[in-house]
Amino acid sequence: MSSDEEAEEYLFKIVIIGDSAVGKSNLLSRYARNEFNMHSKATIGVEFQTQSMEIEGKEVKAQIWDTAGQERFRAVTSAYYRGAVGALLVYDISRRTTFDSVGRWLDELTTHSDTTVARMLVGNKCDLDNIRAVSIDEGKSLAEEHGLFFMETSAKDSTNVRTAFEMVIKEIYSSVSRKVLNSDSYKAQLSLNRVSIVDDEKKQTQGNSCCSR
Amino acid sequence: MMWRDPGQPADSYYEVRPEITDAPKTKFRIKAGKTLSARKWQSAFNSDGQLDISKTLGRIHRGGVHPSIRGEVWEFLLGCYDPKSTFDERSQMRQRRRVQYAQWKEECRQMFPLIGSGKFITAPIINEHGEAILDPLVLLETDLGDATAGIAADGAGDYSSREMENTVKNDSPMSKKEIQWKLTLHQIGLDVKRTDRALVFYEKQENLAKLWDILSVYAWIDGDVGYCQGMSDLCSPMIILLDNEADSFWCFERLMRRLRGNFNPLADLLG
Repeated sequence: MSSDEEAEEYLFKIVIIGDSAVGKSNLLSRYARNEFNMHSKATIGVEFQTQSMEIEGKEVKAQIWDTAGQERFRAVTSAYYRGAVGALLVYDISRRTTFDSVGRWLDELTTHSDTTVARMLVGNKCDLDNIRAVSIDEGKSLAEEHGLFFMETSAKDSTNVRTAFEMVIKEIYSSVSRKVLNSDSYKAQLSLNRVSIVDDEKKQTQGNSCCSR
Repeated sequence: MMWRDPGQPADSYYEVRPEITDAPKTKFRIKAGKTLSARKWQSAFNSDGQLDISKTLGRIHRGGVHPSIRGEVWEFLLGCYDPKSTFDERSQMRQRRRVQYAQWKEECRQMFPLIGSGKFITAPIINEHGEAILDPLVLLETDLGDATAGIAADGAGDYSSREMENTVKNDSPMSKKEIQWKLTLHQIGLDVKRTDRALVFYEKQENLAKLWDILSVYAWIDGDVGYCQGMSDLCSPMIILLDNEADSFWCFERLMRRLRGNFNPLADLLG
């Protein structure tokens, strides 16, 4: 294997955002470990998990970041979003206000991360259909309006969780390969955006600390 | 031959819901002669009630505190009471603090009548501009119907939710502090619902409401910190260990004096 081929390993950073208690952490634990905890605590700060999938014979790793939903934590989010190429924007289909917040989260995403190439609106807790407060059509049309993928999921009963994450990962992959084919300069730019340990070290030797802007 | 007393597990003092099978077991063991017992604790007080705390600290450090006396021991460890104080002084101070808490709680209840009602909310009641949001979920949660049943037989539930609607819609301008406080109430509720939920203790609605009340009152009196995720986990043991709500509040308040720096709004720190 040539060193060129080794460099063709993909690691994408994906962020999960949305209001408190919409199920961000359980979506991640369902996808990464096939676990769901009915009694899980609020997330404090930031957590992440790495999950791999194969696309066109290549191993693609997704590093998925999960954070506290409380407004208070928004102050540290520029670091949270940095380098993200995918985003899942989650609301709870049984709580209207979490859907009303989607616009604000979208602004947040646009402000802090212009690198996201795949964004998905996720209506979680679709197992709670009997107390649904947001219709599928509303979700769909909001997603269309903002150019987002859309999916309803249930971390509790597993519905669409894998599908949702993999759709985002595949979209990032195809977007990256498309752009790589189209432009060599863009390839260089992208390799900077890609989260990889090698890149981080390079950046550090250039004297940029993680807190610099 | 047994070389060491393996001790008695303390799990039975903090009962876990039977359907939960993956709750971690405590490593703590009650060990005779090592763990601070009720008898040893009482013998550290003189006849006036002054405590020789130095006698107990070593034992607490090595063997922990027996679950039956944790509440009262923690009051001293957290600094609620000076060990040199007498029984009488402490009982007066306790009384004053209970009154103070009741006053603050009443202040909060005036602003939002659900405080102290045994219920709590998990959806926002106002937006950032102080305008009311009438979320159906809130109306459901604030329906005091069953709490007031028997007092007003004709449609007590309807009356309460209408009353709540009026409260939420209150047109008189709110202070910035009040808006800020009201914006955190549902966040507290969302976290109360997922704090130590493996414990049988929190199957009781009144205990959930206690946690919500204490955190809400604290958020009001410490406006700079307000409520921040993580605080519910710190408050929960106080409620479990002390029966009186005001006493729990003051333990939590003492703990927060040490920890509140960690919860300062990050925006202020990062500019």
